[in-house]
Amino acid sequence: MFNLKPSIDVLVKSSIRSILKNKSRTILTSLGIIIGVTSVILLTSIGNGLKVYINQQFESLGANTIFVSPGKIFNDKGGFNSQSGASRFIATTFSLTDVAELKRAIRGVTIVPVAASAVDIKSSKTTKTNSSIVGTTYQYGASANYVPSNGNGRWFTKDEEDKKADVVVLGNGIANDLFPTGSALGKRIIIKSKNMKVVGVIDKKGSSFGGPDVDQYAFVPIGIVFEFNGNQNVNQMLIKTSNKDLVAQTKIDVTKFFLKKFDKDAFTVFDSSQLLSSINSIISTLTIGLAGIAAISLVVGGIGIMNIMLVTVSERTKEIGLRKAIGAYPRAILVQFLIEAIILSCLGGGVGIILGWLGSLAINNFFPAQVTFSSVAIAFGVSAAVGIIFGVAPASKASKLSPIEALRYE
Amino acid sequence: MIKSPSSKNKPGNVVLELRQVVKTYTSGNTTFNALNGVSLQIREGEFVSITGPSGSGKSTLMHIIGLLDTPTSGDVLLQDRNISRLNETQLAQIRNVTLGFVFQQFNLLAKTSALENVELPLIYSDVPRSKHDSLGIEMLTKVGLQDKLRNTPAQLSGGQQQRVAIARALINDPKIILADEPTGNLDSKSGKDVMELFHHLNEVEKRTIVLVTHDMDLARQANRIIIIKDGQINIENV
Ligand SMILES: Nc1ncnc2c1ncn2[C@@H]1O[C@H](COP(=O)(O)OP(=O)(O)OP(=O)(O)O)[C@@H](O)[C@H]1O
Ligand SMILES: [Mg+2]
Repeated sequence: MFNLKPSIDVLVKSSIRSILKNKSRTILTSLGIIIGVTSVILLTSIGNGLKVYINQQFESLGANTIFVSPGKIFNDKGGFNSQSGASRFIATTFSLTDVAELKRAIRGVTIVPVAASAVDIKSSKTTKTNSSIVGTTYQYGASANYVPSNGNGRWFTKDEEDKKADVVVLGNGIANDLFPTGSALGKRIIIKSKNMKVVGVIDKKGSSFGGPDVDQYAFVPIGIVFEFNGNQNVNQMLIKTSNKDLVAQTKIDVTKFFLKKFDKDAFTVFDSSQLLSSINSIISTLTIGLAGIAAISLVVGGIGIMNIMLVTVSERTKEIGLRKAIGAYPRAILVQFLIEAIILSCLGGGVGIILGWLGSLAINNFFPAQVTFSSVAIAFGVSAAVGIIFGVAPASKASKLSPIEALRYE
Repeated sequence: MIKSPSSKNKPGNVVLELRQVVKTYTSGNTTFNALNGVSLQIREGEFVSITGPSGSGKSTLMHIIGLLDTPTSGDVLLQDRNISRLNETQLAQIRNVTLGFVFQQFNLLAKTSALENVELPLIYSDVPRSKHDSLGIEMLTKVGLQDKLRNTPAQLSGGQQQRVAIARALINDPKIILADEPTGNLDSKSGKDVMELFHHLNEVEKRTIVLVTHDMDLARQANRIIIIKDGQINIENV
């Protein structure tokens, strides 16, 4: 084997020159690649932006929160359990006795029971039917990071919880729905014929995609929900440890505690990081799927490149013949046209990356979008690969031309 | 073989030999023998012209001598090497280093300067890049175009374009120069300049020259004339 002659920079220079000779053709040829790369960059940036956004949402929940829910939530691979099988429906609910026993079994943590119901809520202005109402304790606000900020009222107190006082803390969304003009704070609302006072409005949290929309919740002392439901079932428990290093051990202890009472598929003990990684894996799958669809246009773009390279080769048959006559060996011709195809598609890739990046900046104004370095690297790599794959056929055709036939070509 | 009395060169060893070369063109189901058993020897330092009527097979013969085409049967020996055993890459290397080809149509790259055209064979050779420009300028100076380095073919006269092509053929210092009707597209003055250049290359630089022409006056300027007719050597003479 001998070293590559001509050297790469000579080839690149002559390729760029021949590409520049046909500017409008170059642009049209690269259009397929440009569109393909732009859409791949855009879609992955949206997927990634979504992920970052949701991660931020979860961080506000706190890394030291453990949830105990009835049913099997996760499958063995860490994704969400999609089985609509028995285990999800023989949903155990927990009782106040469970809560009390758990409190005794595990010390040094805050345990907050949650009971939920769906009811109609009326304000002086409007009615919200079938709204989610969450009954919980005075500690929930602090544990879940839902304490209203300064000027927006407060969470209910232990005293109010014990007395089942008629107080309610509203999510930001439902507060606005019930009182479209002016603040909900201090106003009265009717929940299932109970006249209740709004003591706090939680800051806007935003809904986690697919997940519950906290902004639409109304929080009341747990005893009130028990009354509405006519039972004392607890739907979920929130366990807050004093720091996040204790989360792992506490999860084990809590699991052990419930295994003594229930079957292993009847309840789930999880923390926010687990929930997060499941959601992340869903978004990643979705992003890859969408980007894959967009990548189809890259194939179309590649065919465009192949087409134009075939035209170039036959246009320049005489030149190829001359080069061969004065000593260009087949591989030199092959590499020359391959490099031209790669430059052409990388040019398209580069423009596509810039357009995709500008597009995601624009989208970011109303939807989370964030371009990742890896998507840029992949897009560029893929366009180079497209150039190689679709450039090989024309380049090899050029390299196989007989010098004299090529020279005689008209 | 009768040696030309006017020759100032003592012909040396055989550098190029053809043995019973046949070239058959097939189109459809008709075949045509453009060369029909051509044998010839060319010695080092010779100036040989090949002439004959149009369609007699001169260009076909020249392409086979120049390793641009392969014979249907028969052998081509270059410096005692049988080229039928060489692959495309090895043939290309010989075309690059040992042979210099001058075409009737010049075959210069359009929109490319004279200097870059002349340097083109170097990019496929082992000559280090740092020497390309000085060699290119040297060759263009030799053909009298030192002040046209940056001109593209469109900015040169026909005679100047052919001189650029000759400079290109010379850049790798080839032993053998092959020219197929190099003056065919030129007026008589430019044609004379080109012929003078060939004489210089032969007599002063001791290069072997094979010239194809149908002009008997030009053919007679060589040491030896080969007349070809219907794909066969008709007369081999002074
Ligand atoms: N590719 C080809 N296919 C078929 N026939 C061909 C081909 N090339 C040449 N020929 C035929 O071979 C014969 C010799 O052609 P060639 O070009 O060698 O002639 P020539 O002596 O150079 O003529 P001229 O003086 O006109 O240049 C011609 O009859 C031509 O038609
Ligand atoms: Mg001819």
